[in-house]
Amino acid sequence: VVDQIRLWQIEGDRMRATPGFLFKEFAGEEEYRGAVEYADTLGVLVWRNDGKRLFFVTRYEQLMGYFRNKPKKGAGAAG
Amino acid sequence: MPKATPGVLVQCDPSIKAIINKIDAERNDYIIEDIDDETCVVKESKYKELQERLKEELKDTVKEAEESGSD
Repeated sequence: VVDQIRLWQIEGDRMRATPGFLFKEFAGEEEYRGAVEYADTLGVLVWRNDGKRLFFVTRYEQLMGYFRNKPKKGAGAAG
Repeated sequence: MPKATPGVLVQCDPSIKAIINKIDAERNDYIIEDIDDETCVVKESKYKELQERLKEELKDTVKEAEESGSD
């Protein structure tokens, strides 16, 4: 029993697991910033690493909508 | 457009993360994105299995600590 309690403690205090979606491979700093801030506004942002341009969200549907509706800059390709 | 990958974000102690890395190293079957010594993303379908294996590893660690330590 003591062992079990310890294991629960390990999981509770020393480990946190959140199901969701990892966003990565951004075109640049601007795209990353825009997306991570939008995720934060939506309240779906769980974790971010600005250095690596990675972030994790609990839901992605609205974010995908954000990328689809965002006008493309630079690249030149329409669509 | 960036990539969105489904998974489970695991945030833990470096000691726990080291065990996760060790388990993953056997078959490279759990971790999708190894971020740093306290963070990684694992496959959702494999998370339960990883959790079980982690429990086993930790049980052994606790036992070893007790055998060599207390009383």
